[in-house]
Amino acid sequence: MMVIIAIVIGCVIGAIIGLNIPIIPYSASGYLAIAIVAALDSVFGGITSILNKNFDMKIFLSGFFVNAILAMLLTFLGEKLNVDIYLAAVVVFVGRMFLNLALIRRYCIDKLSSKKDTNSKKVNEEI
Amino acid sequence: MDKIKAAITLGVVCLILTMAICVQIRTMNSVNQEVSKTFEENSLRDEVLKWKEKNDEITKQLDNAEKKLAKVRTDATKDDETASSIEEQITENNNLLGLTDVVGQGVEITLKDDPNATIESIGVFGDISEHIIHDADLRVIVNELKNSGAEAISINGERLVNTTAITCIGNVIKVNDERISSPFTIKAIGLPESLASIDRPGGYVEFIREYGIVFTMKRSNNIEIPKYSGVISAKNMVTQN
Repeated sequence: MMVIIAIVIGCVIGAIIGLNIPIIPYSASGYLAIAIVAALDSVFGGITSILNKNFDMKIFLSGFFVNAILAMLLTFLGEKLNVDIYLAAVVVFVGRMFLNLALIRRYCIDKLSSKKDTNSKKVNEEI
Repeated sequence: MDKIKAAITLGVVCLILTMAICVQIRTMNSVNQEVSKTFEENSLRDEVLKWKEKNDEITKQLDNAEKKLAKVRTDATKDDETASSIEEQITENNNLLGLTDVVGQGVEITLKDDPNATIESIGVFGDISEHIIHDADLRVIVNELKNSGAEAISINGERLVNTTAITCIGNVIKVNDERISSPFTIKAIGLPESLASIDRPGGYVEFIREYGIVFTMKRSNNIEIPKYSGVISAKNMVTQN
């Protein structure tokens, strides 16, 4: 519950700051885009690990920054070599995002159905 | 405890993430939508964006400075009779030169290219260029407005001053070094009744209407004409004595 509140607050404050700080140069926007995808992947990974109760802050934070920086470096290299390497990064990150999302979904569904079971048991007992 | 830590970390990361997303969206909105991957083009875009921002900022500063100057002038000349009369003269001259925003009664004319002109409607023998507005049309209309006593004229927000040229540059028209294109909005301050005589039987407006050009005129008591944004300079002429 606390995690959800923290995420919502973080998103709101981030949006307010993001709407007020100056924009970045156009040539840097490609790097920022890939960093955003990497960061999104990290966030989903973090949520999954919290649900699995094996969240480690060091791993999470290092993953967040190292993934983003590596993705940006790949984009840079790709620009120099004229190969769209950033596509590989996007594929990997989005693939992992779906994987993590599937885990989150499974967890939520499990929780919901178990709640329903206990509820129906209660009803049965009352009858 | 661990849970609080985890929540705070996730919150901070989400903050960075949404911030980045917002910045990215705003950057993409400020650039044209089409995405290009060429390095050269990107850096050129950067440059253009940077200059645009700078230009906007400086124009704003200039506006503020001019407002301040006008205030200082009126304050300084408040108590002095001769100075205030000179100040009035300066204001009037600036109005005549086109260096101030002016407002008054007049007409607002809108000109649009023939909306129904197609290859079929024109046929083999027709000429499509007769169905669009040219620089010459604008010149004639501006001339007629001046002839009927217009005191200030603007075309699509470009104030006509004594150095203004209306010329054709390809598919747009250049007025005061600014490119403008159809539809054209010509605003003129003057006596509305006499300005409205531009739309008379046998006049030029009737002539261009025959080619399907849409001409609409609106009289108004509150025509706002912006000031000339360029600089009027005279390097070669001096007063003869």
